[in-house]
Amino acid sequence: MVARGKMRVYLGAAPGVGKTYAMLNEGWRGLHRGKDVVVGYVETHGRANTEEQIRDLDVIPRKTISYRGRDFEEMDVDAILARKPQAALIDEIAHTNVPGSRNEKRWQDVEELLDAGIDVVTTLNMQHLESVNDVVERITGVKQHETIPDAIVRSAEQVEVVDMTPEALRRRMAHGNIYPAERIDASLANYFRPGNLAALRELALLWVVDKVDDSLQDYMESHGIQGPWETRERVVVALTGAPGGDALIRRAARMAMRAHAELFGVHVRSTDGLAGPSKQLLDEHRALLNEVGGNYHEIVGDDVGKALIEFARAENATQIVLGASRRSRWAELTSGSVINRVIRASGPIDVHVISSEEPEPRAPFSRPRGRRTLPVRRQVAGAVLGIVLLPLLTLVMAPLRDSLELPGALLFYLLAVVVIAAIGGMWPALAASVVAFLLVNWFFIPPIHQFTIHEGKDLIALIVFLLTAGVVSGYVHFAARRSAEASRARAEAETLARLGAQLMTEEDPLPLLISTLRTTFGLQAMAVLQRSGDGWIVESSTGAPTPQSPEEADVSIAIDGEMQLVVVGPDLAAEDLALLQAFTGQLALALERRQLRAEAAVAAGLAEANDLRAALLAAVSHDLRTPLASIKAAATSLLQQDVEWTPQATHELLATIDEETDRLNTLVGNLLDMSRLQSGALQLVMRDVGLEEVVPAAIKGLGDRAQRVELSVDESLPRVHADAALLERAVANIVDNALNWSPPEHPVRVDACAIGDRVDLRVVDRGPGIPPDQRERMFEPFQRLGDQSSDSGTGLGLAVARGFVDAMGGGITVEDTPGGGLTVSVGLDVAA
Amino acid sequence: MTSRVLVVDDEPQILRTVGLDLRAHDYVVDLAETGEAALDLAARNHPDIVVVDLGLPGIGGLDVIERLRRSTRIPIVVLSVRDTEADKVAAIDAGADDYVTKPFGMDELLARIRAALGHGAVGDRDQPVIETASFTVDLVEKRVTRGGEEVPLTPTEWQLMEVLVRNRGRLVPQHQLMEAVPGIEHDDEVGSLREHVGRLRRKLEPEPSRPRYLATEPGLGYRFETVD
Repeated sequence: MVARGKMRVYLGAAPGVGKTYAMLNEGWRGLHRGKDVVVGYVETHGRANTEEQIRDLDVIPRKTISYRGRDFEEMDVDAILARKPQAALIDEIAHTNVPGSRNEKRWQDVEELLDAGIDVVTTLNMQHLESVNDVVERITGVKQHETIPDAIVRSAEQVEVVDMTPEALRRRMAHGNIYPAERIDASLANYFRPGNLAALRELALLWVVDKVDDSLQDYMESHGIQGPWETRERVVVALTGAPGGDALIRRAARMAMRAHAELFGVHVRSTDGLAGPSKQLLDEHRALLNEVGGNYHEIVGDDVGKALIEFARAENATQIVLGASRRSRWAELTSGSVINRVIRASGPIDVHVISSEEPEPRAPFSRPRGRRTLPVRRQVAGAVLGIVLLPLLTLVMAPLRDSLELPGALLFYLLAVVVIAAIGGMWPALAASVVAFLLVNWFFIPPIHQFTIHEGKDLIALIVFLLTAGVVSGYVHFAARRSAEASRARAEAETLARLGAQLMTEEDPLPLLISTLRTTFGLQAMAVLQRSGDGWIVESSTGAPTPQSPEEADVSIAIDGEMQLVVVGPDLAAEDLALLQAFTGQLALALERRQLRAEAAVAAGLAEANDLRAALLAAVSHDLRTPLASIKAAATSLLQQDVEWTPQATHELLATIDEETDRLNTLVGNLLDMSRLQSGALQLVMRDVGLEEVVPAAIKGLGDRAQRVELSVDESLPRVHADAALLERAVANIVDNALNWSPPEHPVRVDACAIGDRVDLRVVDRGPGIPPDQRERMFEPFQRLGDQSSDSGTGLGLAVARGFVDAMGGGITVEDTPGGGLTVSVGLDVAA
Repeated sequence: MTSRVLVVDDEPQILRTVGLDLRAHDYVVDLAETGEAALDLAARNHPDIVVVDLGLPGIGGLDVIERLRRSTRIPIVVLSVRDTEADKVAAIDAGADDYVTKPFGMDELLARIRAALGHGAVGDRDQPVIETASFTVDLVEKRVTRGGEEVPLTPTEWQLMEVLVRNRGRLVPQHQLMEAVPGIEHDDEVGSLREHVGRLRRKLEPEPSRPRYLATEPGLGYRFETVD
């Protein structure tokens, strides 16, 4: 029993990435390390670079098999088995053998070789993998008939992606390094579109990553590893269906994107079915999650935190995103905090707790607002302190009445009042003084437990106490107020300074200015209104609801005759109003800047339009006059009295007049078409037409030049939905343009293919081509702008062609012709 | 004597027609479709005159004129669809001698070529007496007669007349006129030139407001027209 051979697969996203090259290269290196390597089967597609790689490798001759009177070459499995190499290089494992071969598929041949203990290095194109076959078909519009079961490829010891960026691959294609230029037809060119290549490449890489994950899974299982393995980040976001969930999903999606992670959204549904989330919101969140590329999962569990963690572990998640709790303290006390539970159980998984609302733009500072005294919170604290402290003091001191005597007790009460004043300000302190006065009277001044005073000195002491307490309270109160005023003044200065700085740097400072003002003054909404007739236009606004007129606002301040600053919100104190008025100066400045900017933009636009118009006129004048010049020169030559023209010369001059008249006619036709397009006066007569009727007619209209067109459009193509006359004009213009650029020795090729429900008509020239960044411009009318070139088609022809094709619901795309030149494709819908 | 003409234009139809006509008028003709080809042909074949289009692919017409002017004084006639004064001034400033706008009549082009080559329609440049339907200019006697009577001209007017007549058919640029006629003041050069030409027209032209002989090329200069 021989040990089974090992298989190594070079996987490529598309033909031409260099799989065969890599395979041969590896084989050759093996050979020179002393391994017996042979070439079992190699397909070089005539690529010289690839052929060179065979070098001194032993190539097993192919076997010829006859089928239906034709000879086919296939890999000779018997010969390889007989040769018994250590390793065989076998190209294109997904190949289907010709009927009559030993096996139906080449991968079955490979299996035999592996069984015989021969290592196999092979190549595979992505699109042949069975599991991705349908996806590939959707991407490329081409159905693949040769497929290979994924399991065969997954059983390989190694799968290596031969990767190449779509750009590089297209460059290789354009240089003719992949296929000879004449072999590239419409369907092949379609296959090699950048979008297709990018998608196929991604598919190949993903497929391999999945395979890598498989091996990791095996490894983890065999090594008893339970935790997540961070091959690829996975972000799990918990969805509750609560408001603000959309923001949470977006945040999670951004985190996932940055980490190139997969995103999972999880909703834990409780088994009792009670307190369900808003179904509508949850559905919205689910849709949003799909939009941002996440997968939605719903799991059932009573313990939300535990269910989340279990799910995250199962999915090898690396990050969990939770919204900050909106549950009440009470709910948290009774059923516990999900967040806390998740964090405790998360282990190696990062947990992110995101506040459920996007934070308000922060004001540059937090301003003590409208505070004439201490905050209510402190006043309440003072009062509470008074209620607690005074009885406590009385309770402690009453039994000690004899030793303390009145002055001692009064001093303690005074201390309490001072403390209350320091914390709660004037009013709690005054109240405390009065209460203390009564308490002293009741408990400490004889006769005890009566509100009467017998001795004058006691009365004086009490009154002095009351006065002292009052003075201290008042002093503390005014000190607090002073300090509030000072900090407000400082804040105002700071606001002005910051706003000034921002105004200098912002392009349009208005929105920033009013949003800063709104947050600074703690207002609900603020807007700048511009008078417009009897009504008002909102120039800029912040907060909600936006006041639409000064009547809807609580306060309005005139900025100038036409502008008003309007404010909705809590009443403004007089000082605040004054400050706000001071800011309107800044607002007026910002408005002026905004207006100047708008004017400058308009002026720049006008100047540009003027330049363009002048250039267009120059181009039209050139294009109209040039054929006229030839006609007039030829006609005046013929009219000359002093020359005897030979019949041949006469013919030549008349032919010039004839040609140039046609050219003028085409140009005038295009001009009329263009104005028809631009004025929207185009009438479409859409019907189902065959390209094989329209295209030859279009090319015939080009006269003698049509001989340089190589046409392969036949009735096997599906018919398209189009306006036959317009399509003919469009095709004629595109071919005309191609003829202008293609060198005389190269024909212009016109072919077509059906891709899905569209038909692509391609006009392929071998001219100088156009850099990708300038391709969009070639469809603008008179993009040539000037009189540089004499080609009648370039001014308007392509613009008209695009206009017509767009109007018919089709599209024109431009790409490189492999090997140099430009290919213009007209895509049209297949007839229904 | 045959002259060699180099025609530069990116329009094959114009080249074909102009080439055909010039050859029919016994010129030797070289044709070039690009500025590069024109410079090459000019260096190799030494044409007597160049007719050049301004809108050429690659090296533009203005560049061709400037490069030719670095090495040669041969006449250059511009043939272009660009018809604004700015375009014409730019071409003349670059060193062109005359300017024909497209579309053009072959007779006009032939006349300009002849004039630029110094082969006036009414004979050689050394011809002493030039006669028009309205007046006669005697370059030897330095006088102008109209209906047999001498027209009195100031010295400045005569000098102006003489320069224009000796260059008849050709465009004489303003600066060239001012250099040749010392009586024209330099502080208000063009205005002064205009006044002198205006006086000449009033003395010689049958309809001074619609000049037939003393033509103005706006922005460029003046031309003594010889084609009646």
